[in-house]
Amino acid sequence: MIAERPKQRPEIVVDGYPRRRPRWIEMVTSADHKDVGRIMIGAALGFLFIALVEFVLMRLQLAVPENTLLTPVTFNRMLSLYGATAIFLFAIPLCLGLFYYLAPLQIGARGTALPRLGQVGLWLYLAGATVLYAGFLFTPSEAGVNPLAPLSELAFLSNNGVDAWAVSCGLATLGFVLIAINLIATLSRLRAPGMAWRRLPVFAWAAAVTSWLMVVIGAVMLAAITMLLIDRNFDGIFFADGSGGAPLLWAHLSWIFFTGAYMLILITALAAVAEIVPVFARKPLFNRNAVTGSLLAIAVIGTLAWMQNMLTAPIGIGWMYFAMIMSLALIVPFGLIIFNLIATLLGGTLEMRAPLLFAAGAVSMISIGLACEISHSMVAVAWRLHNTVDATASTHFALVGGAVFGGFAALYYWFPKLTGRTMGETLARFSFWALVAGMLITFVPLFLAGGEHGQVVDGYKYFSGTGVSTDNLISTIGAFVLAIGIIVTLVNAIVSRTNGARAGHDHWGGNSLEWFTLSPPEPHNFDVLPDVRSDRPMRDIRGAIAHRGRRAGESESRAGETQPVA
Amino acid sequence: MAPHSPGSDQIDTLLWIGFVVGAILIVAINVALIYALRRYRGERGAEPRQVRGGRGVQLRVGAVLTAFAAVVLVLSFIFTDKARETPTTGPAGLASAKSEPLKIEATGQQWLWRYDYPNQAFSYYKLVVPVDTTVELDLVSTDVIHTWSVPELAAKRDAVPGKTNHVVFRADEEGTFEGDSSTFSGQAYAAMRTEVDVVSPAEYEDFVKTQKDDIQAAQDRVVGLIEKGEVP
Repeated sequence: MIAERPKQRPEIVVDGYPRRRPRWIEMVTSADHKDVGRIMIGAALGFLFIALVEFVLMRLQLAVPENTLLTPVTFNRMLSLYGATAIFLFAIPLCLGLFYYLAPLQIGARGTALPRLGQVGLWLYLAGATVLYAGFLFTPSEAGVNPLAPLSELAFLSNNGVDAWAVSCGLATLGFVLIAINLIATLSRLRAPGMAWRRLPVFAWAAAVTSWLMVVIGAVMLAAITMLLIDRNFDGIFFADGSGGAPLLWAHLSWIFFTGAYMLILITALAAVAEIVPVFARKPLFNRNAVTGSLLAIAVIGTLAWMQNMLTAPIGIGWMYFAMIMSLALIVPFGLIIFNLIATLLGGTLEMRAPLLFAAGAVSMISIGLACEISHSMVAVAWRLHNTVDATASTHFALVGGAVFGGFAALYYWFPKLTGRTMGETLARFSFWALVAGMLITFVPLFLAGGEHGQVVDGYKYFSGTGVSTDNLISTIGAFVLAIGIIVTLVNAIVSRTNGARAGHDHWGGNSLEWFTLSPPEPHNFDVLPDVRSDRPMRDIRGAIAHRGRRAGESESRAGETQPVA
Repeated sequence: MAPHSPGSDQIDTLLWIGFVVGAILIVAINVALIYALRRYRGERGAEPRQVRGGRGVQLRVGAVLTAFAAVVLVLSFIFTDKARETPTTGPAGLASAKSEPLKIEATGQQWLWRYDYPNQAFSYYKLVVPVDTTVELDLVSTDVIHTWSVPELAAKRDAVPGKTNHVVFRADEEGTFEGDSSTFSGQAYAAMRTEVDVVSPAEYEDFVKTQKDDIQAAQDRVVGLIEKGEVP
């Protein structure tokens, strides 16, 4: 007797459709790189606003000499919050958020390699942000932008502020590292057929470069923060002098991170500009290899120049020269990138829309910041200008040029892809000119105050009779213009998200694959993937469609000839 | 601000070189950028020639940039080296500091500078040095990192706890020079200023002697009071 065959199970079992939960729950529980990226970009822009408020409050305190608007302690807390917010909660997450949303789309991937890792990364960053601002419940840090040991040690700041700072920045940094690991895995393994490294869009290339950079500098910062927490809470001696520790150890480790982060922001901005310029000039990037090679060189050489921030410290003159050589060597890659961007513009048919405007603004502001940084890398000049507001001005030109101008250029350019709508052009122009004016009015006077009169950085007041009163007053006025410029674009983004004009799927006539999918993209990104044959696959696709249209048109008109005229 | 020591003079020269280098780059980049943006405005849909640059152009531009960076580097080396030179005490300077620089210890402490002179006299806030004399400041700190900065006289240097840093200068004119601390050091950081009084060697000798005698007198008085049992 033949045993009865087991009942065949059907191949597809439908247990009913998954329950659709409200959109926001879907969003915050999603591991999809687009949801994670959007939350990250949104949060980063929110923290830009908070950092701006803190910056304006500090500038108000510095409007007149010996001002008593803010107490020294309040000012120092504002300063510490501003530094952490601007770097850890705004600039770096904005860069990584843009990469995380766009790089998988640009390489034609249907998702990321390790989606849960990226999701954890996002929530670690948000947890870090919560810890920093929960600091208001007890006491925020008073240790400054970079909490240099031993000031950040328990002996000198005994409340929990520095602990909150360290935990907050540590959580965020860990999040960035996890996101970077996922980006590295995704970019290495999930590229579409034909998407060789040499055909990668420059922005996706920059995602790979900065992810590797973040894995290196993030690890260094995590080590430093761990040591600081051990010092403060478990009687550690890492940064305590006299017991085998060294205060300069914190300086080295933290400057490796901050210098690397500075490079990360500039790489992101210049890569976004290198995506935008060819699209709006309707020409290919003048020389792709020179730009991608230079971006990599900036990541390596730039980070090696960390001791540029320590030229007044008791380190050997040889190390100072090493830092100077590395810093000045950066003239070559930065110069090559800017040369190639301008060469791409030459001979193009430029469409002066908001993305191109902000991209040009980013190049201009970054050029001012970096050109002034050259002085700070010359060892003897650093012995004069180090830690004066001249340094504040150069750093802000470079980093606001990178993160705000570059970030806004990316926002205006990719907003149609993220939301399916466009941002208002008139507001964009107003915002741009307010930003340019604001930057110049705020920071050019600080060059004078720092370069000529040596006004010190991060001070809660200055004295009348030191010759810097007028400069500071002008700078404070400029801060309000700058604030208007930033707020107008933020409002523009919020309003346009729901009320902007609807955008097409390939709104600007882009070159890379993110424009091949819907706006906003479906969860799986692409229904079909094209074979990539060049570094401008989307242009090839448009060309192929136009070609087929022409052929169809030709055969139609031939058919027309043979038809008898009625 | 005018430099008043040989080292500060070299720093000033290099500062101007840096200013010119920066200005050249800013003007060149921004003029080229604005020119390109204004000259090549076109309508959407018009297709320009799809030009790409070859390797040769990049190598040439790279070579020019490298040469530029190298010139800046060499100039920086030259003037940094000159700024580091230890000047010798001049004829109008302190006689006892002719062969070796006058050594003074500067201690950064939250939020005041303390200066210890060779004869065990000390002063707070105000440093008094003889004119035309090579002075070597040994910078130390008892708490957090501070930066001693009197730009008219010398290079700024950090006072790091557990380390000794050095500043050498020779003031070429009598007068008072203001200075700051330029590393964030906590609550009263912005008020942590200092002042250098450059005086004639005779006045300097007089100052340190009076200072020492005053300190000695004050100490003797306290010791006397303790011995008499008036101070617990």
